[in-house]
Amino acid sequence: MAKMTPLMKTIGIVLLLLLPAPIFIVFGASFNGTGYIQFPPESWSLRWYVDAFTDPRWGRAVLTSLWIAAVVATLITAISFLAAYFTLRYAPRISGWLELAIFSPLFFPHASMGVAAVALMAGMGIVGTPIAIILAHLMVTIPFSYRPIHVALKSVDPDLIRAAEVMGASELRALWDIILPICRSGILTSLLFTGIISFDEVTVTMFLIGPDITTLPVQIFTFIQDDASPVLAAISTLSVVITFLAILLLERVAGLSFFVQRQSS
Amino acid sequence: MNTGERPTLAKGLMLLPALIVLGLFFTSVILLFSNAFVDRGGFSLKYFEQILARPDYHVVFYRTVLTSIIVALLAVLLAYPISLLLWRSEKHRNMLLIVVLVPWLVSLVVRTYGWIILLGPKGFVNAFLGWVGVIDTPLKLMFNDTGIIIGLTHVLIPFAVISILASLLSIEENLEEASRVLGAGRWQTFRTIVFPLSLPGVFTSLMVIYLACIGAIVTPLLLGGITEKFVGSQIYQEVMATFNMSKAAAWSICLLSLSFVSLVLLKFIERRALRGQE
Repeated sequence: MAKMTPLMKTIGIVLLLLLPAPIFIVFGASFNGTGYIQFPPESWSLRWYVDAFTDPRWGRAVLTSLWIAAVVATLITAISFLAAYFTLRYAPRISGWLELAIFSPLFFPHASMGVAAVALMAGMGIVGTPIAIILAHLMVTIPFSYRPIHVALKSVDPDLIRAAEVMGASELRALWDIILPICRSGILTSLLFTGIISFDEVTVTMFLIGPDITTLPVQIFTFIQDDASPVLAAISTLSVVITFLAILLLERVAGLSFFVQRQSS
Repeated sequence: MNTGERPTLAKGLMLLPALIVLGLFFTSVILLFSNAFVDRGGFSLKYFEQILARPDYHVVFYRTVLTSIIVALLAVLLAYPISLLLWRSEKHRNMLLIVVLVPWLVSLVVRTYGWIILLGPKGFVNAFLGWVGVIDTPLKLMFNDTGIIIGLTHVLIPFAVISILASLLSIEENLEEASRVLGAGRWQTFRTIVFPLSLPGVFTSLMVIYLACIGAIVTPLLLGGITEKFVGSQIYQEVMATFNMSKAAAWSICLLSLSFVSLVLLKFIERRALRGQE
């Protein structure tokens, strides 16, 4: 493959490094000793981390976001797997329609989706409950879960299933021993990707919180509007670390090639 | 993996959970419409008239559309060199991809907060410039269109990088080689082979970024402040401050139509640009 000119390469590297720059700024600000942002910083301290960990509101928000992300990722991955497995194996003719429906939320501006979600949840009387947030996250994440699973399932050779069944394996056994292992990386991509999306979602979630429940990003958002104390920098750093670890895990267990594949599905 | 068997009704139940999720989504859309078009039990355009009658609301629409177009173009322009870099560096691609993915997946609020620290009146950029002695009074980098454009562009570049890179990676390597062998220079090869073949990724990025922009709430609200309103921040205010669900729904439907019209227009441009590339 051809090399890039040094100029283009430098431009590319500089632009690439600008992407995480604001995150590093937050990181730096979280260790700032004074109550406001200073340049050059005068003192370093961990007091904002101490503040973040001693304020029970933050601990609660982190835990809420984590368990909601885990529930959403598990549910939506199972839902997408069942739907993709059924259509690909038994009803390939409806596959196109199902995809159209599943991918339609992608063409919905987030602000409109937020209002639609409030309208629905208010109609069911569940605004301000974890159920409302979980249901909304399921709607938001379904396209991102369906795609990797659909691609993985599509690569399964039908002869393998026939072979398994000829040799006496039940459908469940064939699923467990043949199909699931082949689709492993698609399933893991779905789990981690949707988990990250749910953990970091704000635009729709902020309409659905209530006095008893809020998620980490929404609480950060509320606090930025009220007062921008450096506690936020500490807590934001924590949220970055969690997302970062999830991405590293994704790279380890499933690879990142899914993100840069052009799907021909 | 179709094995040619007929499905039984019991197996059809596997589709049910997905249909419930989709059903909830479409119900929410129907409720959005009924909120916007129904007033005291009858069909009414009252809420749309309220929006259309206000010239300051027109400004909000213009600002949203114009800013979103600028952001989409800017993001693609800045993303392209990064995609090229990742495309060319096979060895370190995974590591570089993480540098792109982390900012993409880290919460929107956190990235926007980073920009507040950077751009605010007492922020990093102003503190630095003041310390160096370039400026006496802080520059106004936030609570205006500049802040919104910087913030949104930065937030959306990673997506463009990924989708352009996907297009670049699908180019057959020997195409480029053939072009070079036939005597085309570096620039000519890029202009006639690489760039045209990366256009699908470019158009996907433009479309998705534009959509994400016109529907954005958090970044415009935090970096634009209360004066420089976006459709998204207006919607947020209607729901959270004035509790006017019907008006918020009417705004949302305007936004939806806006995105629909833009999508059709962009598809048309894309088709013209890609003509003869089948």
